[in-house]
Amino acid sequence: MPISSLRYRAWREKAMKGLFFLSAAFSLLALGAIILYLFANGLPFIAKIGFFSFFFSTTWAPLATLPQYGIFSMVLATLYVTALSVAIGAGIGLLAAICLFRFVPSRFVTPLRWLIDLLAGIPSVIYGLFGLVVIVPFIRDYVSANGMGYGILSASLVLSIMILPTMVSVSYDALKAVSPLYYEGALALGASREEATFKIVLPAAKSGIFAGLVLSTGRALGETMAVIMVIGGSPQLPVSLTESVRTLTANIAMGANELTSDALSALVATGVVLFVFALILNLSFSFLRGKEGGHV
Amino acid sequence: MRKNAVSSALALGLLGVLAACGARAFDATKSISITTREDGSGTKSAFMDLIGLKGQSDILNVIVATGTAAVMQEVGGNPYALAYDSLGYVTSKVKKLQVDGVEVTTANIQSGAYALSRPLSVIYSTATVSASPLATSYLRFLASSDAQSIISDSGYVSVNGAATAYTAEGSLAGTLGVSGSTSLQPLMILLAARYETFQTHATVEISGGGTGTGYTNAENGVSTFGMISAEFEATKAPDCVSSVVAKDGIAVIVNPANPLTSISLGDLKNLFDNTESDSTKITTWSQLIGA
Repeated sequence: MPISSLRYRAWREKAMKGLFFLSAAFSLLALGAIILYLFANGLPFIAKIGFFSFFFSTTWAPLATLPQYGIFSMVLATLYVTALSVAIGAGIGLLAAICLFRFVPSRFVTPLRWLIDLLAGIPSVIYGLFGLVVIVPFIRDYVSANGMGYGILSASLVLSIMILPTMVSVSYDALKAVSPLYYEGALALGASREEATFKIVLPAAKSGIFAGLVLSTGRALGETMAVIMVIGGSPQLPVSLTESVRTLTANIAMGANELTSDALSALVATGVVLFVFALILNLSFSFLRGKEGGHV
Repeated sequence: MRKNAVSSALALGLLGVLAACGARAFDATKSISITTREDGSGTKSAFMDLIGLKGQSDILNVIVATGTAAVMQEVGGNPYALAYDSLGYVTSKVKKLQVDGVEVTTANIQSGAYALSRPLSVIYSTATVSASPLATSYLRFLASSDAQSIISDSGYVSVNGAATAYTAEGSLAGTLGVSGSTSLQPLMILLAARYETFQTHATVEISGGGTGTGYTNAENGVSTFGMISAEFEATKAPDCVSSVVAKDGIAVIVNPANPLTSISLGDLKNLFDNTESDSTKITTWSQLIGA
């Protein structure tokens, strides 16, 4: 082999190394820049207002003569919406995964999973639109006692559909990772198909399913567009499932184009709170994945 | 393919059923579902100002629609909704209410008979403008029929019916600064773009900041023109005069299925007032329709 070709190879090796390094550095840089921006702009504001009057006050009135920046109503609304949507979505998702795993003939599994995964590819604004023109009027006319279609219930229903694909595929993979010997052993000991699946295989796949739960929670927590269209948007304490409330993400999205100075800093500070929530979720996800031993 | 056809037929059927169920008789015992705009919206602050609730925060259970399209969607789809929006953006999907018995029309806004309207004006120091041929020509342009057609086309109310066409002055060059009200800003950008097609050597620089900025910038000479979206108050800028560019009317809208045709300014204020006591607060449609 001529020397020049070897040199070229060595050069190419170096160049590609550099490119990979740059790509890795870019992702880290982006993360660092966002964190830096959030904290550098949000923390001074929280310090100025005081953490307690920011986090635990329920009055959000950034443009009032005496502005107030309490986000607690929105923290609560976010937690309620997330919890309810995960309860509905993860419940249905887990049962769907079990159904696919055990009770659906294997030739249908791949197309069905493909269809469910298709749900993940639909842009969130389409979910929001669906919620706005179908779910909200339906709840307003048939479910709600006070004639309000917007609120936690509508948002949770929309979100529960959105988290289905995550929940189904992660749970399905977790179930698949359980050794078939467990199932067969249970059958050999006289358990029925249902007993073996629910009492033996399901507990064995527990930590993978929990990981799916955490991922779904993250999706529900961070979703903005679909939620903003069906949540109503009034920054008040949530006391009913069908009443206009506002989540943290909706708060940022509603104000980001309109507010300036202190009010804008309050939005960034809202972002800090959301970021901390997401961080806690991600950490617990990593923890669960570590415990699972690399199955998921 | 077959599956697709079946599922779309199902989906259509479902939507049809829902739509059919939606068209039920209007039930006046239901709560009024108040829709407002997000904080910072120019339409919202103008509306709250006009009904006498300047700077007040939202009532409970209000629905916050982000943008005009969302307001139209909500009022068009919800028989029990009540909202407001700039007249130019109101579509035929919703019904406009009379306010204090006055129909919201261009003529009533021009004459001032309709309560929920506000002038959008530029203010300037006469000394500065008369010393600058560029500024003088821009004022002439704002009053011209070329400007009036842009004003009407963008949903605002023209206040100068007998305007004549603008004639370009070839030699003008330079830069004009216009700043202030964000309510007037989008219209001013369109107007300035048209002006620059006449005076190709002139540049109009437009920035926002709000009505307050408009006053201070015009008074201190930071920009040639200040934009304000309320009646001119001479005390805020003693060296300046104002010239109305256009008027903006805010319509109060309900669903077409709603039998209500008129609302009083007092009731409107009651609906949007978060200090109204529970005993006098209007909450259901029968309280408005019965009266």
